[in-house]
Amino acid sequence: MNKTISITINGEAYQQSVPIRMLLVDFIRDVAGLTGTHVACTFEGVCGACTVHLDGEAVKSCLMLAVQADGHRITTVEGLAVDGELSILQKAFNDHHALQCGFCTSGILMNAAEFLKVNPRPTEAEIRSALVGNLCRCTGYAHIVDAIKEAAGRAG
Amino acid sequence: MTSTINMPHDRHPRSSNWVGRQFSRKEDHRLTTGKGQYFADILVPGMLHLVFVRSTHAHARIKRIDSSAARALPGVVAVVTGADIKDQIKSLPQPVVVPALPARYPTFWPLAVDKVKFHGEPVAAVIARDKYVAEDAAELVEVEYEALPHVRNMETALDPAAPLVHEGWPDNEMFALTFTGGGTPETQAANDAEVDGLIRAADVLVKQRYRVHRCGVTPLETRGALATWDDGDGMTAWITTQRPHIDRLAMSDVLDIPAEKLRVIAPRDQGGGFGVKAPFYREPILVCYMARKLKRPVRWLETREEHLMSVSQERDQMHDLEVAATKDGRIVALRDRGLADNGDGCEGVYWGYLMPFLGAALLPNAYDLPKCDIKIRVACTNKAVLSPARSFGAFPARFALERSIDKIARRIGKDPAEVRRINFIRSLPHVTATGVNYDSGDFLKVWDLLIKTIDLPKFRAEQQEARRQGRYIGLGFGVGAELSGVASSVLVPMENQPGYGAATVRLDPRGKVLVFEGDAPGGQGHETTMAQVVAQEFGIHPNDVIVAHGDTGTTPFGSGTIGARSGSYTVSAISIACRFLKKKIARIMAHDLKLDADPSDFVFGDGQIVFTKDDNIRKTFREMVERIIMAPLNLPQGESGGLEHTAFFEADAPMICFSAHACFVEVDAKTGQFKITRYVTSEDVGTVINPQIVEAQVQGGVVQGISNALFEQFVYDEAGQQLTSTFENYKLATAADVPSIEVHHEAGTPCPHTPLGSRGLGEGIPGAVPGAVTNAVCDALQPFGVEIDELPLRPDRIWRALKAATEKTAAE
Amino acid sequence: MYPAPIENYVAPATVQEALKALGGQAAGEAHFIAGGQSLMQAIKSRLISPRTLIDLQHVAELKGISAEAGGVRIGAMTRYRSIAGEERLNGAYEALRDAASHVGDRQVRNRGTIGGSLCWNYLAACMPPTCIGLGASVELLDTKGEKRTLPAEEFLRGPLETARKENEILLAVVLPGAPARSGSAYKKWGLVTDALPVVGVCAFVQIGDDGRCRRARLAVGGLATGPRRSKAGEEALAGVAAKDAEAIAAAADRAAASTEVQADMWADASYRKALISTLAREVVSTAFARAQARRAA
Repeated sequence: MNKTISITINGEAYQQSVPIRMLLVDFIRDVAGLTGTHVACTFEGVCGACTVHLDGEAVKSCLMLAVQADGHRITTVEGLAVDGELSILQKAFNDHHALQCGFCTSGILMNAAEFLKVNPRPTEAEIRSALVGNLCRCTGYAHIVDAIKEAAGRAG
Repeated sequence: MTSTINMPHDRHPRSSNWVGRQFSRKEDHRLTTGKGQYFADILVPGMLHLVFVRSTHAHARIKRIDSSAARALPGVVAVVTGADIKDQIKSLPQPVVVPALPARYPTFWPLAVDKVKFHGEPVAAVIARDKYVAEDAAELVEVEYEALPHVRNMETALDPAAPLVHEGWPDNEMFALTFTGGGTPETQAANDAEVDGLIRAADVLVKQRYRVHRCGVTPLETRGALATWDDGDGMTAWITTQRPHIDRLAMSDVLDIPAEKLRVIAPRDQGGGFGVKAPFYREPILVCYMARKLKRPVRWLETREEHLMSVSQERDQMHDLEVAATKDGRIVALRDRGLADNGDGCEGVYWGYLMPFLGAALLPNAYDLPKCDIKIRVACTNKAVLSPARSFGAFPARFALERSIDKIARRIGKDPAEVRRINFIRSLPHVTATGVNYDSGDFLKVWDLLIKTIDLPKFRAEQQEARRQGRYIGLGFGVGAELSGVASSVLVPMENQPGYGAATVRLDPRGKVLVFEGDAPGGQGHETTMAQVVAQEFGIHPNDVIVAHGDTGTTPFGSGTIGARSGSYTVSAISIACRFLKKKIARIMAHDLKLDADPSDFVFGDGQIVFTKDDNIRKTFREMVERIIMAPLNLPQGESGGLEHTAFFEADAPMICFSAHACFVEVDAKTGQFKITRYVTSEDVGTVINPQIVEAQVQGGVVQGISNALFEQFVYDEAGQQLTSTFENYKLATAADVPSIEVHHEAGTPCPHTPLGSRGLGEGIPGAVPGAVTNAVCDALQPFGVEIDELPLRPDRIWRALKAATEKTAAE
Repeated sequence: MYPAPIENYVAPATVQEALKALGGQAAGEAHFIAGGQSLMQAIKSRLISPRTLIDLQHVAELKGISAEAGGVRIGAMTRYRSIAGEERLNGAYEALRDAASHVGDRQVRNRGTIGGSLCWNYLAACMPPTCIGLGASVELLDTKGEKRTLPAEEFLRGPLETARKENEILLAVVLPGAPARSGSAYKKWGLVTDALPVVGVCAFVQIGDDGRCRRARLAVGGLATGPRRSKAGEEALAGVAAKDAEAIAAAADRAAASTEVQADMWADASYRKALISTLAREVVSTAFARAQARRAA
């Protein structure tokens, strides 16, 4: 019923015996204590608030078991800033008022961060398409799109 | 209390103009680095997890509940049912959560007692040490039901033969009211007769039934409650609420806890509210009760499924609307019979019916309609009760009237823009036929800016050309005269609660400021906008101002973050408190410097306080503050040390905020699919405190309106089963489904009733949207004569209307 | 919300190990998990509660797209992301790229796999009708070492039902050698962008020297019957010229008329048929265009 697993999160190694059924998002929040990753839907995995990086790729951590991440690298929103220096994306979100309640923000930052690596010069349509897996209720998305556009431009 | 206060804008040094200035939000640092402090992030050692068992029937008697298997599961601490708590917890209604309006108030407890009235009603609760185990145990609770015939919808609810949702009621009508014609049956009858006469005699009459579906503004963060109990200190409860002070009073009544021993804390960060987190709900009551009973911390974190089954359901109204006009398009009379589907009606504070109530009161919108006959009925059915959503109750009636105005325009061959302009209220203040006060504003100015921005004549030319090419583009309008805060004169009768804004402003000896306010924001940026207001007042930097909110233990009473209060009422209270303290500082400074001066001779800016008659005479803000707090010697007669003040603001008139929307669409006449190609708004928000935040409120509000009108729908099937309890089925707009909104506030006028001239924005924005989008589609399809009078606005509905229209034309 | 207790979790590195793990369990007790984008929904909602999960994410043999016997072999664990970006599929099998690039959202595409989609055969899925439309086959291997290949349209039955036996693993999806001058396309419609399809249609067209349709395949997904070929639509395309919009429309209408559709909260039967007709028209036209573009090749 339990399994001892090792997961590296934001560069730090965590080893723990966990129930096999424990969701990855719960490992991140409850075992590692990193509460920046949020849960906003039940089992459907549609909202994207739980998005993290698994080996550098954006995935929904509510649709994985913690045991599936055994031996893998996870990056969460807490790992975006380097040595306390906010990433270009995080700064752009602040500049463009791309968040209101902030509940979707972590997931969007993680998705956008990987998206920009894959598509460094996206059009607005491509940005909007990339955000299909992240629901936002407050902003209407416009400022989020602006922030991502700017971050793409500034990344050089 | 206060009326006009002039802003000594020109006398402030340039660098202290924080109001109206772009300033990045202070909240963002923690929210973009994963350090938000939301409800689910709060942990208390030894916290137990509570999971609800919910009804699988729309209407059924509870024959038996067997929780033995659940109890036997290791890690389960307790299982509780309605029968267990019925004599332990006071049922609702209790006074503080009951409006002073004549309605029937159903008796209910946090768990169903005797019977269940909707699919999803809480029936039992399981409490366990582990949240996964709690769910396992909930599955083991066996409930035996005896199904009862259920009330399917509002149409059948008021049938004499309909089953009763609430035993002992003569029928399923929860509330009914006439909103026009004064206060007595005689005056109302006279008014009804007059309106009837005008309708019969009118040149043009548009008579239509409109139906708006069940949808709401579900926030991304679900609800939760976490309570701790100590026999000495009493209870501390964290609740995802927009109204912690109200919840505290209500909880105190229901659980018999002295109010001073109950502290309710709205978490510092909340993932949206939009009205959904305003009522006093069942679940937190049970959580608090169990924490006290077990003397251990108990937490409930709502799942999305629970949420969509039991809250966020709003709108769901029918309107039989008659609008009579002259042949020039001037409306002469309006008659509306509204009907709302209120589900089981069990909800503290709002009882579901307050939304259609306010919607009816606001039905006249921004139009000058002196002769109205408006009545509503609110019916109970076997569904979840309505819970508030942005555009509180007004979304369906806005849709109805905007559609009717377009029909009038088509009937008389005028542009819908022109017909609207003819009918806008021209002179404010204005009292509507329903008795609602609109304080100020220049609607024509706001409207004209919209029309100029969209270049109406150019569009009509493009539209004609497009039609020649077999392309169907259209333009639709919607407007909203929305609440800007809620005055006590409205809130006391409506909800038995005060409307004033309140804030405590506390200066510290180092010249920094702490603000305490009792509302509970969910994304509106209070920590930033309020800091900007304080910074402007004292001439300091917003980073030197900290705003704390939502904790009943430390903040003055506030009715909560509802009805656009913060931008209208709460910031006003903050201004007033600041000005009080500035006067005190100025008096003491004058005394210290032996100046013959009064407070208006001093200007605060750039961290300094300057004597205007000789600007060599100045002190720093910090040194004056430190002197008054830490060295209170040689003070003027009657003056004491310390610098802290709590102020209450009541506007001397209920205030509104007007906005006008224009929506452009292109429709594929073969499939009914359409795209919103452009969406423009013009609104009057008075003095803008933070331009980005104001603009973002409109972006978000319009997209919520679009999502509601097009994609979202709560569906109950013939058996009363709710089918839309996941985001797969209750579909929210994604970024790829909506455009950016073009937002304009240049045509605003400062509100004369608030110290800053600001108006509260945000509450009603979605209300103008369904009319704008639907009118645009109908405008595009005018060659076919398609009229859509029912929402949601879906391609298949449009396609069927097109088919019917083309078949009709073929037959003729 | 949370899965029921799971007793065992195995993460094999090879197909052999995976089959060994499967064989060690009583029938129905073990479940393979591929990308998990559908399966985890089922596990979290407790629609299914497997005792043992066999996680295929590390089985390298099951991943990758390769040319084989003139055709294309796509490992069962190949992610949508990889398929979406695979230019070798252009032209004849481009429908797979169309479908894969719009499943769910990009997070789903980073994990979800073609094999997972086919084995789950959800009612509203894109891979099943696309594989049928392209005439793909599936290769299965069982715990006794027996391999078999069968056409996708035999493999895929009613919703959530396939011909996979409990002791079998799906190894790959195999596409036959693409005939010259062939093209395919897939399109779906849902209420919001990239939503689960209310209806999805895949068209494959091979044209002759004369630019007319020599062979066509047409498949529809989003149906309560399970994904279905539309032979009536295919027959109506025989000999049709690429530019003959009217004939293409007529064929699309035939496909719609002859497909058995359900009514649900997204569309009634008549609108579903209208959608099939519209989508079929579009994908057939696109398939023709892609086939013509391959003439030179």
